[in-house]
Amino acid sequence: MFDAFIQGLLVILQWHTLAVMLLGIFLGFWVGLLPGLGGSTTLALMLPFIYKMSPVEAFAFLLGMHSVVATTGDITSVLFGIPGEGTTAATVLDGHAMAKKGEAGRALGAVLMSSLMGALIGAFALAISIPIVRPLVLMFGSPELFMVAILGITSISSLSGQEGRSLLRGLIAGLLGLLFATVGEDPQAAMQRFTFGQLYLWSGLDLVPVLVGLFAIPEIVDLARRGKAIAGDVPVGHISGVMEGVKDTFRHFWLTIRCSLIGTWIGILPGLGGAVAQWMAYAHAVQSAKDATDRDRFGKGDVRGVIGPGAANNSKEGGDLIPTIAFGVPGSSSMAILLAAFFMVGLVPGPDMLNKHLVLTFSMVWTLILANIITVAVSLAVLNHLAKLTRVRGSVLIPLILFLAFIGSYTANNNPADLVTFLFFGFLGYLMIQCGWPRAPLVLGFVLGRIVESNFYISTSRYGAAWLHRPLVLLLIGLSILVMVYPFLRFRRGEATGKEAIQ
Amino acid sequence: MKARINLNVMMSLAIMAVSAYALYASLQWPFKTALFPRVLSIPLFFLATTEMFLSLGRSQKDVQGQAMDFQMTDDIDPALARRRTFMIFSSILGFLLLILLAGFPLAVPLFVFLYLKLAGEKWLLSSLMAVLCWLFMEGIFDRLLHLPFPQGWLFSLWG
Repeated sequence: MFDAFIQGLLVILQWHTLAVMLLGIFLGFWVGLLPGLGGSTTLALMLPFIYKMSPVEAFAFLLGMHSVVATTGDITSVLFGIPGEGTTAATVLDGHAMAKKGEAGRALGAVLMSSLMGALIGAFALAISIPIVRPLVLMFGSPELFMVAILGITSISSLSGQEGRSLLRGLIAGLLGLLFATVGEDPQAAMQRFTFGQLYLWSGLDLVPVLVGLFAIPEIVDLARRGKAIAGDVPVGHISGVMEGVKDTFRHFWLTIRCSLIGTWIGILPGLGGAVAQWMAYAHAVQSAKDATDRDRFGKGDVRGVIGPGAANNSKEGGDLIPTIAFGVPGSSSMAILLAAFFMVGLVPGPDMLNKHLVLTFSMVWTLILANIITVAVSLAVLNHLAKLTRVRGSVLIPLILFLAFIGSYTANNNPADLVTFLFFGFLGYLMIQCGWPRAPLVLGFVLGRIVESNFYISTSRYGAAWLHRPLVLLLIGLSILVMVYPFLRFRRGEATGKEAIQ
Repeated sequence: MKARINLNVMMSLAIMAVSAYALYASLQWPFKTALFPRVLSIPLFFLATTEMFLSLGRSQKDVQGQAMDFQMTDDIDPALARRRTFMIFSSILGFLLLILLAGFPLAVPLFVFLYLKLAGEKWLLSSLMAVLCWLFMEGIFDRLLHLPFPQGWLFSLWG
């Protein structure tokens, strides 16, 4: 096994393989930075180029490209408040708030280092878990997946804030997100729901225009209202700010590890995807706040809100690969495309990947590691120049951001109707911000809605009500209740401690 | 207390209307199709109603909560903020109309140029940015990725 691990590194370091991996990283770097280009779409577009490559080269190229997309997508989220990728939306909340306070360098340092740590943990998980993951994955049927999604929804209580009517508004936003997820053809009876006779709505609302609209429009409006640069009059942090961000990742080392593990685990479970991982990690970061005052810092530029999603959206890549390689079960749309790549180069995922092609499997682990190290090193080298973008006048940035946001929403499906969706959710996002309503619960509800519904019906059709007695389901119900009441318990305890201190 | 209608009340009313419509529409559907929309829309309606009553009679500032989210800059003159908000939303809608009428390849450089000029930028910068955006779009999306951009309605009409 160890020999295969070392051989995996050696085959990656052969000049031809290394060259195609670097090409992939170069492409992935820009794909992540530009909101108009999605990782999955580019992966699909690059498939024809692997026909003449060996399997090792093909996966070095494709994985090299795909594994760094979330890393550089975080940079766009921090600097411009537009999610570079659908999987980097949660970074906007605190990362962009830090950029507006003149801490762009620190936010970028933190998000890049946490991304690297997340990617390494994901790759490590892939390396060690292939032989042992089969029983674990098989334990998770549709009832357990339903409960994992419910567990995600219970995070709404953490994402809403505790002051005033924040929880009430968080619940409303969460329910609204879940309701938006029901738009489209019902998977059970193939009935149209809320489609208003529009063919575009048959397949439901696409995540990309929804996310880009919700996050980009309010930021653009705010930038226009201020009439200044993103960082305003605050001087942008230089190299010291970046190192501070890197140190922040190690100051919150266990948070980084926990969020990386959340990302890996969400990646392993089929059908949940990176969009879920980042929000669950963000919710976990919020839950780790010591008291209500500490919690209030989130959403306003707390570095922990950057580290959590940054780690999770990268670690899920390693997790995603586990069921794809071991069983040929893709956990996300990107992995489904990668599965096609397996067949194109004449490989069949499954037991052969753990015996006959073990060197290739380990070369994928090394690709994840090397690609992320290279990307983070290059990004750190050019970070000060990137951070300077927050000093560019708002009037110059706005048309460029709008152009990227419009084109990003359009290229999700190449359908002009996506532009209308983008504007609708942009206006909704603006109203929510104006009224002081949290957007994160809406996104979480929207992302998890379909997963909850489909897994609920599969569970009920397959097991009746008996699925409620499955041990893992009971465990997850307990965990969900704990996640729901934990913020209140902490809040109460914090209040009691505060009163004692006053007395 | 004299009831005041603020943005929060209107937002709550809109959500109440959406949830009531969702519930009404679900009455026509088979049970399995309707279950989730019903389960969601009923509590949504009542929560939005609660929010609306709590917001009635209070000023917008009083009802703004501490959401775990960013907040709009409020250290500028409200009249100026309103004017700029109106201007940016008009620009966004104008960009959408331009895309629909003229198509992406023409709308993008035109919008970038016009926006920069109206914002008071110099001719050189405005022209350079417009050309760069056009080159970027043509180069990456059209030539490299072969992503189709539909013709604008104007060009479709002219055949």
